[in-house]
Amino acid sequence: MILMQTKALFIDAYRELNAKKLFWISIVLSALLVVLFASIGYDEDGVSFLWMNVSFLPFRPSIVSREFFYLEILFSGIGIRFWLTWVITILALVSTAGVIPDLIASGTIETTLSKPISRTRLFLTKYCTGLMFVALQVGAFSIGSFLAIGIRGGVWEPNLFLAIPIVLALFSFLFSVSATIGMITRAAMPALLITCLLWAVIFLMNIADASLLMFKVNSEILVEQREARIVEITENTTRLIRSERNREEPGSGDGYEPSMEEIETRNQFLPQIVEGLEDDREDLRQLTFWHNLIFTVKTVLPKTVETKDLLSKHLVDPSLYPERERNQVEEPEDPNTFVIDQAETEKRMQEEMRGRSLLWVLGTSFLFEGVLVLFCLWRFNRRDF
Amino acid sequence: MEAVIDVQGVEKMYRRRVHALRGVDLRVGSGEIFGLLGPNGAGKSTLVKVLLTVIRATKCQGTLLGSKVGDKSVLSQVGYLPEHHNFPKYLTSRQLLRHFGAMSGVQRAQRNRKADELLEVVGMRDWANAKLGSYSKGMRQRVGLAQALMNDPKLVILDEPTDGVDPIGRKDIREVLIRLKDEGRTVFLNSHLLSELEMVCDRVAIMVHGLVRQQGTIEELTDGQSGFAVRAMEPISEEVRNTVVARMGGVESVHTNDPNELVFATSDADVAQPVIDALRANGVVIRQFGFRRPSLEELFVKAVQEHPDGARPGAQRKGARS
Repeated sequence: MILMQTKALFIDAYRELNAKKLFWISIVLSALLVVLFASIGYDEDGVSFLWMNVSFLPFRPSIVSREFFYLEILFSGIGIRFWLTWVITILALVSTAGVIPDLIASGTIETTLSKPISRTRLFLTKYCTGLMFVALQVGAFSIGSFLAIGIRGGVWEPNLFLAIPIVLALFSFLFSVSATIGMITRAAMPALLITCLLWAVIFLMNIADASLLMFKVNSEILVEQREARIVEITENTTRLIRSERNREEPGSGDGYEPSMEEIETRNQFLPQIVEGLEDDREDLRQLTFWHNLIFTVKTVLPKTVETKDLLSKHLVDPSLYPERERNQVEEPEDPNTFVIDQAETEKRMQEEMRGRSLLWVLGTSFLFEGVLVLFCLWRFNRRDF
Repeated sequence: MEAVIDVQGVEKMYRRRVHALRGVDLRVGSGEIFGLLGPNGAGKSTLVKVLLTVIRATKCQGTLLGSKVGDKSVLSQVGYLPEHHNFPKYLTSRQLLRHFGAMSGVQRAQRNRKADELLEVVGMRDWANAKLGSYSKGMRQRVGLAQALMNDPKLVILDEPTDGVDPIGRKDIREVLIRLKDEGRTVFLNSHLLSELEMVCDRVAIMVHGLVRQQGTIEELTDGQSGFAVRAMEPISEEVRNTVVARMGGVESVHTNDPNELVFATSDADVAQPVIDALRANGVVIRQFGFRRPSLEELFVKAVQEHPDGARPGAQRKGARS
């Protein structure tokens, strides 16, 4: 009977989706995007659209590999990051905000609860049916993209189907919020609005995280540069003092260790650099504190961006990433002036971002979802209708 | 008679303040049509929802179809039509019936057959493939009734089944109820339409203010209140009444609020004849003479009037005068 009831609830959910225009509009738009993918060619001359060469786009196989172009730029970049995790997710939230309020609506819930199904199973099954919108959309889109990219681009990458669990996980984090608010308020509109508000908060936290991380990395680089400069100046000045002493009295300079004061009197920039180092270390401490704070707050929230990025992590071999040219950093004439290579900053940021474990990204997000689902279950089981 | 519903002391208190049920004792026998009546806020729907696990009772002892109230598995043998139901508008009636059939554990082949059969029974066969959103209230009620019968239930609980249904539809529904009884099923009806209950119910219970005040067959409930009534053209004086009552000896008179009426608790017309003679001897002009049984409506009104708080909509708050 369990299977029969589960199947009945899923069929009912499909019929509900089927009755919504939004679902079919999304499917049609996804199909158009797949057709667009199939229209884009990529060869030695660069990018072509249908029969037209659009070589003004800055992509060449010598710089960007075919796999990277189709999988990372087209599928992951446009298809997943933009289309599925923004547009489709918003449409799905709109479509599914009513799933739980409709379940517990007066006039509906009485009939359902009078059937031989436990409240826990009923809620969990209904919750899963709420994920069906996105599951069908991402499933259809992935199959279409797999075929389009394979046939047109010659890139047959089964890992592309990782998009299904990843996008589904991402949506489920948001849907858990929508379900919880729907359970409390029994209305779809507050569920949708509060979910979007939380999503906006997560978005802002990600911007804060990335910005603070950039400042922190810049500050780290600056501190490292200052420390290196101090060591360099100290060593050069020490060598200079020693050679001067050897010139005055041969052998007296060997092994001589000048005091810091002596070195500072010989190099006018050193005191400024040392003073600057203290300031930079203080800045770094402050930035580290604020970044850790944001990181902690993010830990308890669902990680939408990091979840999304998991696809790129597993879809494209890191060796296929085009090498970013390092800027030629000219040595400034003023020893107290430091120049930060943004390529280095980006590299370190990416290392830190990619270093965030799967447990942190998915584990804590699922924990967030689990807590909300448990709350809903508790409320649903205790509530009188 | 085997009990299908047998509960004692059912209590439901909301937020420790509102006492919706105050110790309901109820027994419904197998194969009967049982009517539960009461004013708005008496607790009828709450009681039904407690039986169906839609509401958790504060206190409840008893059984439903032999299983402890709250046991979900027994609900596969129960059909339920809630009041003010709101079935999904995107489904056709055939899809709706199949869906709830599956939810009750009815096998696929059986539910496909049963859905068409029941749509025929409730007169909705021609609308089987039309979406519920296009139905009138009466049509939705018919489909709702069919939905409650999808699992061949031993017990059918119907909350205001004729709500919004036209007279022809009501007659059809009554016929379905009688057919269910003939098939040996138990029907539990919650209704405001007392005349309808009177037509089909074997037994009724009157619920007022969270308590069952009276319970039994209509004959049992009217016992001592029915009898031969003599109706005069003018009000009968107290003196004449006393004279006539004294002359009737062992036959008890029944209290009536009508000053023109005199009722004696007997079903024997011969026994009642001396009343006519006595009244005529005292110059009373008789307008009507016959056996009279109080209607369900009269019983209901009387029960509510005896417990005036119960006439007010809404459940009683704890601490209020009962």
